[in-house]
Amino acid sequence: MTSRTASCRCGQLKANVTGEPVRMSVCHCLNCQKRSGSAFAAQARWPADQVVIEGRSSSFELISDSGNRARFYFCPECGSDVLYDNNDGADGQIAIPLGAFDDPYFFEPQFSVWEQRKHGWLEIESEAVEHFD
Amino acid sequence: MAEGDPVRVSVCHCLACQKRTGSALSAQARWEAECVKVEGNSSQWVRTADSGQQTTYNFCPVCGSTVYYGGGNFPELVAIPLGALDDPYFECIDYSVWERRKHRWIEILGESIEHRD
Repeated sequence: MTSRTASCRCGQLKANVTGEPVRMSVCHCLNCQKRSGSAFAAQARWPADQVVIEGRSSSFELISDSGNRARFYFCPECGSDVLYDNNDGADGQIAIPLGAFDDPYFFEPQFSVWEQRKHGWLEIESEAVEHFD
Repeated sequence: MAEGDPVRVSVCHCLACQKRTGSALSAQARWEAECVKVEGNSSQWVRTADSGQQTTYNFCPVCGSTVYYGGGNFPELVAIPLGALDDPYFECIDYSVWERRKHRWIEILGESIEHRD
């Protein structure tokens, strides 16, 4: 089975995933911009039992306007987010920021969400992608 | 807090920027150091590039967000990740660099943008 490794910048916090992601998406919302520091966020999700985590992490919980909670796990040494879950993992999934992968080029977005917040100089173009405002 | 217009707004597709942001590219605006005022606690992480240049990233120890960084190619400037700005929307960006690492599903639009491999 395919196996992939995500890690923080300094390398001490790692997530190893097996199998293919169940969802690949980009999000343009302001929370995702703040979390990443970028113009949008990109992430892939796996069933939690296909993710093995190694190393020390700090976590930060963000409650959205809708009341959904997301908990982000980041390396206390370099600050990189390596994984997050929603509502204490109620959906059984773990999301991994695309850039954390040692090889991030497997990714093809299926969903591009919160496009009402998308920057004018950016386009997400892929045959497979569904766009949501 | 940054005052005035940034001197440079850019996106970067390199792998180090992808790791830092967790996104498929990074976006940042740079100001002269004297235009930037910093408040609050930060932790630092220093990255040494293959060229030997060092960049110091300052992130919040509570939530992990990088709020500013400096050094590297532009030692006289302070860089602020676009997403960290309360209003991250600039009309256009000046540079798109490391495009050899660009994901093929991303397009960076704008006539005045300088693209570099």
